[in-house]
Amino acid sequence: MLTPDELNRYDRQIMIEEIGLEGQEKLKKARVAVAGAGGLGSPIALYLTAAGIGTIRLIDHDRVSLSNLNRQILHHEEDVGGKKVNSARTKLKNLNRRVEIEAIDQTITETNICQLVEGCDAIVDAMDNLPTRYVLNRCAIEKKIPFFHGAVRGFEGRAMTILPGKSACLGCLYRGPIAEEKFPVIGVTPAVIGSIQATEVIKYLLGIGQLLTNRLLMYDGLEALFTEFTVNRNPDCEHCGSLAG
Amino acid sequence: MSIKIHIHATHRRFTNGQEAVAVEGNTVGECLNHLIQQYPGMEKAIFSKKDKLHNVIEVYLNHASAHPNELAKPVKDGDEIHLIVMLAGG
Repeated sequence: MLTPDELNRYDRQIMIEEIGLEGQEKLKKARVAVAGAGGLGSPIALYLTAAGIGTIRLIDHDRVSLSNLNRQILHHEEDVGGKKVNSARTKLKNLNRRVEIEAIDQTITETNICQLVEGCDAIVDAMDNLPTRYVLNRCAIEKKIPFFHGAVRGFEGRAMTILPGKSACLGCLYRGPIAEEKFPVIGVTPAVIGSIQATEVIKYLLGIGQLLTNRLLMYDGLEALFTEFTVNRNPDCEHCGSLAG
Repeated sequence: MSIKIHIHATHRRFTNGQEAVAVEGNTVGECLNHLIQQYPGMEKAIFSKKDKLHNVIEVYLNHASAHPNELAKPVKDGDEIHLIVMLAGG
């Protein structure tokens, strides 16, 4: 049940026909895991918090550095040196104190991930490397939790939504390991992609619109261009190949 | 018979800045070989060794993923190939 304060706060989005009071209550009941509190995690967590998601479980093991601040807008100068989950929690609570922020200061591994996302309705990919993305993807498939992928580099980004057993997953595109790199990026790129991921989460939770399932959305900020590619499930996928469609 | 290959921004330094190159061939692999004949610098950009693409290179045929076995996928006149570099940052 929404409080008078919440009815006022969310008035403009409750006005949206596809959301309404019922939808807002669904958002309030949801628990979403955001894996990473960096460039992507910042806009994702901020917009999910602003939208009134009931609980956000934010997972990150890192500390804030000065070179993070060009894009990781949850963290400010005074946070440099501190834990990202702590500064993120402070900002998110300042934005919306009614949203529960579960700040988890842990490194995501194959052995702990499924416990870290236990009880969540969605997992959002805000990682900065591919190996951990595959760890998230595999866990999402195993636990049958929808997974919202995003990645960026420079002015480019991509997003895809994965409904385990129903749509293509990251494993379906896997071509083998790639070398880790210190990737170039400007903050507006994860702002675009993170906002798309947050939109997908909200749509999924409300059961509205068309999700980016089997659809890889590519963004080219320099050309101001979005391009969509179809990705079908790979029956030999090591992650989801064994799941019935 | 002509197939268009869209070149990723990071690879355009190997194609004299061209965003798309017209090639010929009956498979994706043949088309990529024709691309390399025209622009030899593309070989190291997309192949790690003979007939083995770099793991970061994704191939889309008519806006659909060609993975797996992308090089063997047949193509026809008017088809479009996109060579995309995978992204990993966040």
